[in-house]
Amino acid sequence: MKIELLHRPGNTAAKVTLNQGEVITAESGAMIAMSGDMDITTTTHKKKSGGFLKALKRMVAGESLFLNHFEPKGVSGEVIFGTALAGDMMTLNLDNESLIVQGSSFLACQEEIDIDLGWQGFKSIFSGESMFWVNLKGRGEVIVSSFGAIYPIDVDGEMIVDSGHIVAFNETLDFTITKAGKSWLHSFLGGEGLVCKFQGKGTVWCQSHNPNSFGSSLTSGLRARRA
Amino acid sequence: MKAEIKGSAAFAYLDVELDEGETITTESDAMSSMDADLDLTAQFNGGFFTGLARKFFGGETLFISKFTNNVTGTRRLTLVQPTPGEVKCIELNGDSFCLQPGAFLACTDGVDLGVRWAGFTSFIAREGLFKLEVSGNGKLWYGAYGALLEREIDGEYIIDTSHIVGYDPSIKLKLQLAGGIFSSLFGGEGLVTRVVGKGKVVIQTRSIAGLTSWINPKFPM
Repeated sequence: MKIELLHRPGNTAAKVTLNQGEVITAESGAMIAMSGDMDITTTTHKKKSGGFLKALKRMVAGESLFLNHFEPKGVSGEVIFGTALAGDMMTLNLDNESLIVQGSSFLACQEEIDIDLGWQGFKSIFSGESMFWVNLKGRGEVIVSSFGAIYPIDVDGEMIVDSGHIVAFNETLDFTITKAGKSWLHSFLGGEGLVCKFQGKGTVWCQSHNPNSFGSSLTSGLRARRA
Repeated sequence: MKAEIKGSAAFAYLDVELDEGETITTESDAMSSMDADLDLTAQFNGGFFTGLARKFFGGETLFISKFTNNVTGTRRLTLVQPTPGEVKCIELNGDSFCLQPGAFLACTDGVDLGVRWAGFTSFIAREGLFKLEVSGNGKLWYGAYGALLEREIDGEYIIDTSHIVGYDPSIKLKLQLAGGIFSSLFGGEGLVTRVVGKGKVVIQTRSIAGLTSWINPKFPM
């Protein structure tokens, strides 16, 4: 399997070349082009899927994530993945470790990697923001995407990241939902509200731009639907 | 203080290193990540009443944030604007610069954020009743949606409304209707800005108003 990131960083697409027997798993809707003789299977989960009801429950909770598995029928094939928002992508190589990826930043990974969509983590606290998390475990390549540029932060101690800017982080990091600075009042008045505090040793990958902030700067100019 | 604009013109963000005792003032919700022991203080944007007025008539936030390093050693902070686009820095040495609503990202101590009456024509052009006039000594970072073009003008220059980001205070803005009064007021289009004077004008290559007016007709009725 070969992964190439094309047209970085503004309008990135990931080109994955697969040999026979190799499978790449991607978020639904990520494929923009592929070879004609590619097999696609769609599941709601990689393993221990929990069946239809569990998937339905996730969908009701606003976090439906179907996964597509691409496998070339012939000797080889290629798939190109893209995202809705403009921005960068990054590949990460997992070596029997665990990575937490923000749902909308997860793009694709090798089939050998375990994908746990049910990772609740700090989901409930962000009610209102449709945020969910994917826990990737195992060995292989992962592709994540971002809105804007991606910058890594090496955490050794404590670091605060605004919730809308998280792309992925090592599971070795502890995190708490807290305020920015010393005072809750100032954190809210300063527009930061709840932020994520990472503790320990590890890396957090951040996206330079927050999709929700961009969205709300648009909404004041959009006309309400007359339905 | 060390500050560096990263992320190219398309997705600019500002990496700041604050030494002991240093403070940076930023737009509300500009922080994307920071060291956990930096202090954040929210302040009214130009006093309580002007803050309120600017929020409701100027399209600005009620509060601005101050990040201070009250511990020993250098601390990191990353700042970004809500929309993708370019960020630029200017150094003020006792002079001043005018910014349109939303263009302000951050400034160092010594820079004053003044609020000036922009007039009703500005309000009609949906540029806000108030404008921000920054003055003093220090660095100022500002940005917009899209890339930034700088133009030195001497005389008259015409810019589409909602594409102006900032300008020297010696420059006067005059709105003029490109079409009839009716279509200009109610259609929200047909307004251009005539800038008159001598100095620098900064223009953004794209505008949020342009994007939303492209999206709006695509919603089902």
